[in-house]
Amino acid sequence: MATSETHDHNHDHGHGGHHVDPLWLYLAVFGALLVMTVVTVGASYIDFGGASVAVAVIIATVKAFLVAFFFMHLRHDKPFHALVLASGLLFLSFLFLFTLSDNGTRNDVDDMHGKPVVKPPPAASK
Amino acid sequence: MASTTAEVHEGHDEGQGGHDGHHGPSFLAHHFDTPEQQFESAKLGMWVFLVTEILMFGGLFAAFIFFQGVKPEVFLEAHHHLNKIQGGTNTVFLLTSSLTIALAVRASQLGNRNQATLQLLATLAFAGGFLVIKYFEYTHKIHDGLLPGPGFCNSDLVHLSADAACRAMPKDAHVFFSLYFMMTGLHGVHVVIGMGLITWILLRNMRGDFSAEFYTPIEIVGLYWHLVDLIWIYLFPLLYLIT
Repeated sequence: MATSETHDHNHDHGHGGHHVDPLWLYLAVFGALLVMTVVTVGASYIDFGGASVAVAVIIATVKAFLVAFFFMHLRHDKPFHALVLASGLLFLSFLFLFTLSDNGTRNDVDDMHGKPVVKPPPAASK
Repeated sequence: MASTTAEVHEGHDEGQGGHDGHHGPSFLAHHFDTPEQQFESAKLGMWVFLVTEILMFGGLFAAFIFFQGVKPEVFLEAHHHLNKIQGGTNTVFLLTSSLTIALAVRASQLGNRNQATLQLLATLAFAGGFLVIKYFEYTHKIHDGLLPGPGFCNSDLVHLSADAACRAMPKDAHVFFSLYFMMTGLHGVHVVIGMGLITWILLRNMRGDFSAEFYTPIEIVGLYWHLVDLIWIYLFPLLYLIT
């Protein structure tokens, strides 16, 4: 509602009204994407400890949201298209969740890092 | 026989139309009621396809994040062999091409054919620039022995490539470069396919196939190209910028 009022959404060609966004909006989104590219490069020189991948992914996700919302016209689309995208992202999140849960516990259960799985009994007598 | 066809044809003219009985604009396929329904169906189909693309790349991203978590120090060392400036330039190229194809769609919405042609040409130019830089990156890495396989530059293989840089290369660095070549390679294939699709709609646009009422193929190819950009938005920081 609020977004569609901010521009001429009655630019209707008599076929259901394809929204034509103003030029400045495209340029503003492009500018924001460039700024965030600079930010993500700059962030790579800062030590965030173990959170550097998380920081990079968060900035990338904001950029991806801008592209999907404005360039791919999700904001004018039927919500069903966003639902299709969200369902894909939901299953992608399952993939990441279970993969990373393996990651977090891996060193405890195998000897990838030279740690034996089970310590041999100190006096293995016959 | 002749009477039956005439009858069928008559029936169509009375009803909602058929193969040759025009029930709407010429671009409207006979199995759709309205141009709007046709446009929405095309877009929905494309979004479903894009989701399958996201899931395909998602597997590679999951592998990358997993191995990065297992061997962060190896990934940190290996990623210094990537050129941030080349990767950053390619990011700007793809973002710009995303803008130009969005503007091509906008020009088509307004019925401005020449403007759409110019924006599509600009999109092709930036996509081509991306591939040129990618070519230099790949040849440089292959020359340095960073392509996984026999002769991969690794401390285990100093007898094959007695380079000092190779001796400094950590064990298991090939995992990083396998993922690098696989992910950027699959993405590069998408860039090439996207350029083919953009050329196709460019030619159709110049031929005058599209109008403000019908520009569905430009919109759909635009969605595909934005996805190519979206994938790179994640690839660039993960591959080139990890710390």
